Amino acid sequence: MKKIAYVVDPKDNVATIISDEVKEGMKIPVEVDGAKLEIEVRADIPYGHKIAIRPIKKGETIWKYGLSIGRATEDIEVGDHVHVHNIEPLRGRGDLAKKQKEGICCE
Amino acid sequence: MSKWYGYYRPDGQVGARNYLLILSATIYANSVVERVANTIEGAIPITHHLGRCQTKSDLKMTFDVLCGMAKNPNVGGVVIVDHFREELCNIDDMAHEISKSGKPVETVNIRAAGGAINATTEAIRKAMYLARELSTYKREEADMSQFLFGLNCGTSDTTSGIASNPALGLCSDRIIREGGRSILAEFPELMGAEPWLTSRAVNKEVADKIEKMIKEYEERILATGEDIRGSQPTGDNIAGGLSTIEEKSLGGAKKSGSAPIQDVVFYAETPGKEPGVYLMYTPGHGSESITGIAAAGAQVLVFSTGGGHTIANPIMPTIKITGNKKSWEKMQDTVDLDLSGILEGTLTLEEAGDLIYNEVREVLSGKLTKSEILKERTGFAIHRIGLSI
Repeated sequence: MKKIAYVVDPKDNVATIISDEVKEGMKIPVEVDGAKLEIEVRADIPYGHKIAIRPIKKGETIWKYGLSIGRATEDIEVGDHVHVHNIEPLRGRGDLAKKQKEGICCE
Repeated sequence: MSKWYGYYRPDGQVGARNYLLILSATIYANSVVERVANTIEGAIPITHHLGRCQTKSDLKMTFDVLCGMAKNPNVGGVVIVDHFREELCNIDDMAHEISKSGKPVETVNIRAAGGAINATTEAIRKAMYLARELSTYKREEADMSQFLFGLNCGTSDTTSGIASNPALGLCSDRIIREGGRSILAEFPELMGAEPWLTSRAVNKEVADKIEKMIKEYEERILATGEDIRGSQPTGDNIAGGLSTIEEKSLGGAKKSGSAPIQDVVFYAETPGKEPGVYLMYTPGHGSESITGIAAAGAQVLVFSTGGGHTIANPIMPTIKITGNKKSWEKMQDTVDLDLSGILEGTLTLEEAGDLIYNEVREVLSGKLTKSEILKERTGFAIHRIGLSI
């Protein structure tokens, strides 16, 4: 059967949507390491975009491929759309480096 | 062991094509080069906007790229045109370097010829006789150990990282098992993928080099004081579901499969002879990146694209693949292989890897890519670091 959401690594807290039909309120099956979950979708999610499959707190790492793809900029609930509005990269960030240098920011 | 059929060059390399290159040494020779290539059957023009008023290191990089394109085994002969006398990017220095490959090189200087019209005539005549000579060359049997395989991706989306790139990785692994070599480039797009890459390095020295050079690229970005967002991921990447540079990097690195990583080479530098993956220090800019790979001597490149792409190098046949069904439907006039069956559940990754492998072998032996037929030559751009002076 064609998958709706694709999880690359058991460690991941996001899945990639590979369907054009994923709309707010739907329940979709997600398979993680052999276990079958059902996730209630909390937003319309376009093909190729990500959905949270575990709760993620602000500042926590987003895992895909079993490695970090950045951190959450707000609390993310299971079923939320995970994209540039709630996740930020940590690499190549001249702006963060500059803030650190000026003592403005933490981290 | 799969065979392919190519053109043997005097230095022992084997070409997938038998091009006559009309090569501009400097921006002010471009128009003559275009006129000559328009006149001569099958000639490929290489034009650019560099070759003078560059910092020394950039000028050397321009020289290395131009000579590297001419030395690529897909090229059988070269006509170089310059306009007066530049440092390095002149017909004498370039012809000297290119002649080391043993292939025929002709030169034309616009000022010495008496202007653009005379230079065009002289270059057309020289090109015509070279084209006659090249037309007598025949393809002969070669094996995968004589193949340097280029890997690249662009207009990536999340299907690239979970479908077309892993399939391309399996194809690369197979080529390397048969004695070939692959190049993985785009250093800013390896940020975040260090754990995978260093774990495959042939020794600690190479692992340290990988870490150091990815960090160096990152530091060059940090030195600008800018937020990478807005440049990476690109607008088309974000539309395709990629959220961060790390996500893009992890998906991109999948192209290199699981084979050992032998070394890290500089932009346009020819890798060593051991079978395996070589990382090349290039930017993520697709045309600049694949130009570095072509100048290093790669005969064929596979370009994995989520959204579809028109990119193709002028002398290195560029096979485009996609794992996104919609992109295939929209862009099938320029994308060569549809791998959307991976996510549709009708094609295994292994089958997709074999499909790419067979396409690569056929293109090496003469099958034309869609971009070649359409004369799409957008994939040539010389990387630069410094200012114009």
